[in-house]
Amino acid sequence: MKTPDTIETPPFLADHPPHPDFNAMSDVGFRELVREFVSSHYPDIPRFAQRRLRWPEVKPWYARLARCGWLAPTWPQALGGMGLDATRHLILIEEFERYGCARIHDIGTVMLGPLLMQYGSSEQQDHYLPRILQGEDIWAQGYSEPGAGSDLAALRTTAIRDGDEWVIDGQKTWVTLGADANQVFVLARTDATVKKQAGISFLLAPMDAPGVTVRPIENLEGHAEFCEIFFDAVRIPLGNIVGEVNQGWTMAKALLGHERVFIGAPRLSASALARLEALARKNGLWNDPAFGDRFAALAMDLGDLNDLFESYMDRLRRGEVIGPDVGVLKIFQSELYQRISEELMQVAGSLAGVRLDDDGDRRHDAAGTYLAARPTTIFGGSTEIMRNVLARYSLDLPA
Amino acid sequence: MTTEPEEWVENVRMLTESAGAIVPVDGDLSRVRSQRWVEPGFSRKVWASVVDMGWLGIQVKEESGGLGLGVRETVALAQVLGQGLVPEPVLPAWLAMQLAENAGFDAELEATLSGELLMVPAWQASPAGLDPHTGITVSNGRLSGSRTAVCGATGADLFVVTTTAGLALLPRDAKGLSMTTLAMHDGTFQAQLDFDEVVCELRPCHDIASALDTAMVLHGGYLLGVSERAFEITLDYLRIRRQFDVAIGSFQALQHRATDIKVQLELARAAINAAAAKIDLGQDGTHCSLAVLRARTRAAALARQVAREVVQMHGAIGCTDEADIGLFVRKAMSEAGQFAPEHALRKQFLTLRENPIGNSLLDSSARDHVPTDSLEPAHSTLIGACS
Repeated sequence: MKTPDTIETPPFLADHPPHPDFNAMSDVGFRELVREFVSSHYPDIPRFAQRRLRWPEVKPWYARLARCGWLAPTWPQALGGMGLDATRHLILIEEFERYGCARIHDIGTVMLGPLLMQYGSSEQQDHYLPRILQGEDIWAQGYSEPGAGSDLAALRTTAIRDGDEWVIDGQKTWVTLGADANQVFVLARTDATVKKQAGISFLLAPMDAPGVTVRPIENLEGHAEFCEIFFDAVRIPLGNIVGEVNQGWTMAKALLGHERVFIGAPRLSASALARLEALARKNGLWNDPAFGDRFAALAMDLGDLNDLFESYMDRLRRGEVIGPDVGVLKIFQSELYQRISEELMQVAGSLAGVRLDDDGDRRHDAAGTYLAARPTTIFGGSTEIMRNVLARYSLDLPA
Repeated sequence: MTTEPEEWVENVRMLTESAGAIVPVDGDLSRVRSQRWVEPGFSRKVWASVVDMGWLGIQVKEESGGLGLGVRETVALAQVLGQGLVPEPVLPAWLAMQLAENAGFDAELEATLSGELLMVPAWQASPAGLDPHTGITVSNGRLSGSRTAVCGATGADLFVVTTTAGLALLPRDAKGLSMTTLAMHDGTFQAQLDFDEVVCELRPCHDIASALDTAMVLHGGYLLGVSERAFEITLDYLRIRRQFDVAIGSFQALQHRATDIKVQLELARAAINAAAAKIDLGQDGTHCSLAVLRARTRAAALARQVAREVVQMHGAIGCTDEADIGLFVRKAMSEAGQFAPEHALRKQFLTLRENPIGNSLLDSSARDHVPTDSLEPAHSTLIGACS
């Protein structure tokens, strides 16, 4: 891919040796490689953080990944990624989790990048993809609105064409780490006269454009992880649209389907269960038969979730398109995570409500896990909406 | 794991297609219905077809006259048998034959494969007990004690009895053996066997536990099949039954409960297939057993959930003997607790997870994700260059 002249010297990018074909390595060999990578490259920032780290905190890790060419595991190597297949990607995620690596600001690499590769113009690809890899652009996702959560297609933010510009008016909310971003992609209504899904477009806006205001929202855990973004007559060039006008809904849905497989990964439940075992041992409940029965049930649930996740990964490996039944995975993982977190609260007893500061011992953090588990049944399609979709499109029940 | 279409996938396709001979493709259950509570609780004629199709020897080595297929193929067949509520004691015979094969009862194995004899296992000392060794004492070549929940006993010629001292094959008319028949809600029969100094030939059996593991996965497959079909029938009913001028399947309360079943079905399917693959791929004993206990527990819980939900979703007609859905409910009631109920399986799981037998790995599902810092140095040149 050519690098446009307008790009300044990249802040992060340095020459890294060309990547080998990671997919040709054995599972065990690749796993060892990833372990060695994280142990030798993970910077001096928190591990096993219960909250999302903010940009200044996570920047050294982002920079290190960028320099090594490890920032975008699933992007093709020709575009600066690692070119990992689904199996290798899962191994990488598992090993990053095992070490307790902080999650980077990954909306650009996980969401926007793949979208641009599929639907973006070559100019957009040439401009935006390198800026993501170099840490110049940190992206936020502008989907939900105060009146459009589960019913996302009801969104009311508008983009009206005025000469060679779009003018955006409206409000986005629950924007994860929006306060750290310098760019935001926005689903906006560009045609109010058609069926609600058919009049939506996918636009790209810089956060420093006049008329953009950001207000952080503190969550239950006390962190300003998400925020609201207000658009007041924000003007962006006409070319800042991805795909065709009014094609935005199709693209947004394509992104969500992929996301749901990975939301269904067993890692959150697995780390919560490890925490439950540690706390039960510490609090003298480990040999209690009643607790043992509940623990065994949760451990078996986790094992079965693992098998289910693997069966989906097998289907991805065989190149199958995953349909609406992916909701099964998302529903069970998020509800299991919550059930484990509720058992943690039981085991923690009188001290369940203790609020740890950032340096606290996260291995026994019941309340933090409980709170962290709450949004998982809401984001990426609430459990109730997932059930509606499953009933309608997987079980073929009448509307 | 390879991503190529594998031989066993093709085997499964052929097997399940051949099952049409016994399990009507149109879902007709009148044959099954007519068999209920008439001893021996199944059809000799259908049994002859089972023999003819070679299903009994599906897992028996080819050199011993079987098909030599794996657990993955066999579990797929068990699933089809479950879908058709097949009452013939195919699954008990599979376990009996695996035990007999392990202990070298070759003549009896051959006679079973040819349909001359029907053998079933008698391994359980108490209704919730998983230990196949207790409950029988042997002294001076005479066997005393009892075995419960012996499935297919009413039509069996031979009982394969597990003991601490090995395996005994006892004919049903053996002196000192008495049988108490128990009529089950699904129309089949089980039996309690009491042994009073029964003369026997004992042979060492090297692997009773792993034979039981396999049998539990297969039984999980049968329960999955029962649940799948009952769910299909119920979904059809939700689509056509109208109240308040709409199909009741449009009600969100029912839709969400239906999706709960769907979630459990997919978990059971994944757990059963994974456990079967672990056994076929020769993973170590504890690793397999943990997966088997999970799969069997999930299948039992699924069958129970489906049984109660399908009655409720059918409404009053679901409480009649006339509606076929009841046959599935009765089957789930009779089969879900076989081997051991879920609480006993969970206890076993926890024990095994804490105390793996021998030098085995822990169940990866339970322990793979625990953070660990132990790292083997590797590839340092490859990844060191970018820092």
